[in-house]
Amino acid sequence: MFLPNEYEFSCFVKINSGTRALEHLPHELDALNARKPLIVAGKDVSKEGHVRKLMSAFRDSGMTIGVCDDISGPFDAPLIEAITNLYRNKDHDSIVAVGSGSIVDVAKVLNVSVSYGGRTLRELAGKNGIPNPLDPFIFVPTAGGDGYETSRYAEIEDMKFSSDFLMPDLVVIDPRMVTSRDTRIIVATAMTALAHAVEAYTSPAKNHITDIYAHAAIKYVAEYLIPVVRHPADRDGSCALANAACMAGCVVSDMTMGMAHILGETIGAMFGITPGICMGIVLPYTVAHRALHFGARTADLILPLAGFDDCAKISPSLSDAVAVTMMIDLQHELNGQTHGGIPRTLEEADVPPYMLQDIAERCITDDLPGYTYSDYLTVVKQAWEGSPAMNG
Amino acid sequence: MVSYREVKPGGKPFKRAYVAVMLWFVGRAVQAAARVDRAVAREFDDLPDSFTFCLGVEPRGPFMVVGKSKKGRVKYLGWNPAGKEIDLAMRIQNMEAAILLFTFQENNALSACRNRITVDGDIPAACAMMRVIDIVEVYLLPKMIARLAIKRYPSWSFRRKYLGRIRIYFRSVLGY
Repeated sequence: MFLPNEYEFSCFVKINSGTRALEHLPHELDALNARKPLIVAGKDVSKEGHVRKLMSAFRDSGMTIGVCDDISGPFDAPLIEAITNLYRNKDHDSIVAVGSGSIVDVAKVLNVSVSYGGRTLRELAGKNGIPNPLDPFIFVPTAGGDGYETSRYAEIEDMKFSSDFLMPDLVVIDPRMVTSRDTRIIVATAMTALAHAVEAYTSPAKNHITDIYAHAAIKYVAEYLIPVVRHPADRDGSCALANAACMAGCVVSDMTMGMAHILGETIGAMFGITPGICMGIVLPYTVAHRALHFGARTADLILPLAGFDDCAKISPSLSDAVAVTMMIDLQHELNGQTHGGIPRTLEEADVPPYMLQDIAERCITDDLPGYTYSDYLTVVKQAWEGSPAMNG
Repeated sequence: MVSYREVKPGGKPFKRAYVAVMLWFVGRAVQAAARVDRAVAREFDDLPDSFTFCLGVEPRGPFMVVGKSKKGRVKYLGWNPAGKEIDLAMRIQNMEAAILLFTFQENNALSACRNRITVDGDIPAACAMMRVIDIVEVYLLPKMIARLAIKRYPSWSFRRKYLGRIRIYFRSVLGY
């Protein structure tokens, strides 16, 4: 087992997952000394009936709840200010965010706003700009989450917040909330979780605790993604994938974002493709590249990806290549199951070849030092062609 | 403009009524079993005199209260714990968890493992009360259902099981 010379890890998030997990909410709020929660949800989530399900979990609790369930863009400072005023005027003491993506960012920044009267959001933005704990914050994921919701990050307008106190106190994963019929949403969620977990599992910043989270997340995706794509109504499978996203989000907070994340976000933003789908395409190639040039421990991935029996059959000399091949096979299987709906390469995702250099240029960020333009370009070219560079 | 509404979600009257009836009957059956079954009597013997135990659903009930008098006699003390000095309170977190438990979809041990039951009081006493409730369930329920409700179905003599069952049902209905 890998023992780092030094490491740090913190994760405040309590996870409550499973059948009727929603019904635990009143008790959990009570344990957090919260009596009057404000439910924050987007219009789409509300239309799907998720807010109604959540409210029915409060029946018999005796609690009064506030509901803001038609929040839509632009997600900006005036919106936060409007909800902050409601929160204060109606004497709320906690936030329950339902949904995924931007709406959870709104809830996180709202929590900063309501907990810090007298200071502007801009003053509190930045790395570790929030010095004290915030009001109780509970997150109920729905389908389409990418795991960042659980992380220590939030973003509104051009303000980026980063603090351990932004992480939810509790994540409630209920199978009734996380099932989706849209296979693209399912795959995007799972591949984002897989990308984050794989990068955590092979990162130099890894430690034995991040390994536990990442291992479980990879295993859940490897085991449940294809069955859920075949049968989207599979509640257990959907719940497993939501757990994978949640756990991957937890480890992301303790690491810098990896190459697949940066590439996925950049390509997604440039060509209007869901970032999770892009991360799935580029992931095997980033892993192969990092194994070849940076000595990443890629072989470790075989155990969570393939399980113990298959892992034991694989020759150690081939293990790096096998791990990459397994991820490519997963992508091909998804492509087959969705009749070509999930692209296997960037070429199939309609990324023009003359834009590959642009992508590589845009990926150079201060957040991830160590990777150069040529690293990104090599990986993007391989992901476009579908041919990874591998040892063995 | 953000729309806002304040909601006070209603109750679950049917589930509440079902759990209340179950707790009422289990409470009376515990009282009866303490007089009929030696194992149950022994469990109560080990508890201090004036010991009072409450089992119910958070946050508004229903509850059942069982107490041991100074003379060591076990008695069902009703559904309302208010005003009583409770030594051990076992609270089921919510009505749905209580329904899982009392419709035997989940046994007592599993429910406790899944953190659906919180204990306020002495842990050995809580374990004793769980054993008592397990025994009572074996008496009250047919084997097919009781196997779902408890962790391991005991192997009892015909006399203990069936004669005991008749006596406990009789005493529970009549309340003595």
